[in-house]
Order: sequence, then C-alpha cells, then structure tokens
Amino acid sequence: MAKNQSAETIIAQGVRVEGDFVSDGDVIIEGEVAGNVQAAGDLRVGNDAKIHADVVARNANVSGEIRGNVQIAEKLELLSTAKMIGDVTTNVLSVASGAQVNGKITMDGREVKVEKQKVKEEEKV
Amino acid sequence: MYYYVYDEFVQDPKFERDLALIETRLTDLGIAGKIARLALFRDPKELIRDEIRKGAKTIVAVGNDITLRRVIDAVGDSGVVIGVVPVGKDGNILSSILGIPVGVDACDILSARIIEELDIGEVNARRFLHTVHVPQVSQVEVVVDKGYKMNAFKKCTVEVRNLALEGEDVRAANPVDGKLECVLRTPSKGLFKKNKLNTSIVPAKDLQMTLSNSVKCIADGEEFESNELRFKIIPKALRVITGKGRKF
Repeated sequence: MAKNQSAETIIAQGVRVEGDFVSDGDVIIEGEVAGNVQAAGDLRVGNDAKIHADVVARNANVSGEIRGNVQIAEKLELLSTAKMIGDVTTNVLSVASGAQVNGKITMDGREVKVEKQKVKEEEKV
Repeated sequence: MYYYVYDEFVQDPKFERDLALIETRLTDLGIAGKIARLALFRDPKELIRDEIRKGAKTIVAVGNDITLRRVIDAVGDSGVVIGVVPVGKDGNILSSILGIPVGVDACDILSARIIEELDIGEVNARRFLHTVHVPQVSQVEVVVDKGYKMNAFKKCTVEVRNLALEGEDVRAANPVDGKLECVLRTPSKGLFKKNKLNTSIVPAKDLQMTLSNSVKCIADGEEFESNELRFKIIPKALRVITGKGRKF
C-alpha cells in the first residue's frame, strides 16, 4: 500500500532560499531564491517570486521573475507577468502577451539533463 | 511471545469491562501474553528492556499515544515488533493513522500482524514518530540536507512531520518515504491577499534549525527547550503492526 510518492516542495512568500536548491519532485516557488534551482519534476514560479539563479527543470510555468539562465527539458510556459533576464534553452516554448524575455532563446532540440538529488558524501560514510 | 504494557490510566475501574473483553479476545486468538502494569514509579524502559532480553518478540502498548511513545522509546533499536491496543476515546491519533481501531477490535489487527517498517525522526537525540512543533519565533534559519539555507523574513511557526494526517494546508506525511517534512508557516499578507501561499513545505533527510531565541518545542507531546534543533531521519527504524485502514 505504501508508495514512495515524489514529494512536492513549496517555497512560500516571505521565505528566502540561498544555495543549491535541488528537488526530486515538483517545485512551487512563491518566495525568493538565490543560487541554483534544479527540479527533477515540474517547476512553477509564482507572481511575486524572485529567482536570482540558474534554473534546470523538466517543465516550467513562470509568472514571476527569473534572473539567470534557464534550461527546461520539455516545455516552458511564460505567463503575461513573467520577466526573464538570461538565456533560455527549451524544447517547447509558450509566451503569453506581456511576458518579457531578455536573453538568447535556444530551441535546437539539445538534451537538457535534470539530475536527481545526490546523497552527500558524508552520509555515505 | 507477546508482552502487553498496560498504561496506568487503563487500570481505572471505568475501563475494567473493556480490558476484560480485550483479554478474552487475545486468549481466543492465541496471542495472550505476559502483562506489565505501569505505575507512577515504575520505569517502563526497564520493564520492557528486561522482557526483550528474556525473549519478547512483540511489545504491545495498551493505552493511548503516550503509552505507544513510551514503548517506542523503550524498544530503541532492538528490532522487536510494536503493537498498540488503543483504550479510551482521547489521545489516539497515532493509532488511528496506523489503522488500529479502539478497544477489542484492535486484537484482530494484532493477530493479522501486518508489519510496516516506519521511519523515525530524531531531534537533538530525542526520537519522535509523529511531529515536532516549534512555536512562533521572530527569526529562523534552516539548513536543509547540509546544502541550501532557508530563512523566513517574518515571524513564523515551524512543524517537522514524520507521520501525520493531511491538514488544511499540508498533505499527509508519509512515514515510509525516508524523509521528514519541514513545514514553515508565515502569516498571510492581508485581507485581499488571503489566498496567497504562505506555507512552505520542504522534504528533507537532515535539518539544522537555528532559532532567534530559545523556545519550548513539543516532540510528540513532550516538551523541551532549545534554540538549536538538529533533525535527522532514521529510515525503517521501527517495526509496527498496522491495520488495513492505515493512512499512509
């Protein structure tokens, strides 16, 4: 009966994350993130979210601000309030009217690898 | 061999009939065993560890969540199977999550012996199965899995969950996923931003929490005070008899 479900990580408004943020599942960001973001699942960036980081994810739905390079393995969806400053690599792109993209967009079918969370060396000992 | 640990409160005359029914059913099922009755100055750890040394393979808490917690503490890493027979109406949240009905019906669950290996959490070397609550603090810094750092700008409350039911803003915490769940709640912005997400949820194996001041935290109903909290998960540390209606 017990299943190992992929956990959903939520960073709510009023919370700031610093460092390499890695998740094995889906991620919702409504707060602030500085560093790197890596999500093995889908990423949703909310309206008031501010990300100052390079982002790697399987799919992404963005309505907040991202300053950094973004690599999406499958589909990137930019909603009307989205603001992106940085280069974008994705397979499928959807841009709503009003969304801002300042950077190079690459859609040449190159593979984006989304790594799963690694076990720290200390834990192995 | 079964060993039954009766909590002090079940020895109250109002539970006399319930206990008689339980004992009869256990005998019918062929799983009756030695009984220990807890009292004010009887250390359950000593009693239970003695019985484990003598060969007890299953320790059954007869009482409520507090009784179960005391049994978990005493069993430690011995690997014996833990069961529970909930008695009384109150304080049986853990047993309901484990799918164990109150009273005599629990005996059939014990007899069926569906054993799950559950993770157990540890905070400052104190074990917990359910949750740890940290009351409102003005500042908190959480280092997650020795990697990234999480800070709350405003006053917030923190809850670290291992085995817990679904809440208004959180999903159920699964005790067999090898992870704890850190829930950080910051107050919502105001009337018109009522629906804003203000509950952060982060699954983690290791958490290091620094609080702005020393506060009284509650681990599975037991109070302790600290401003530095170190959490870790011990996967599959407990072998517990569960019912078909378990909620994970």
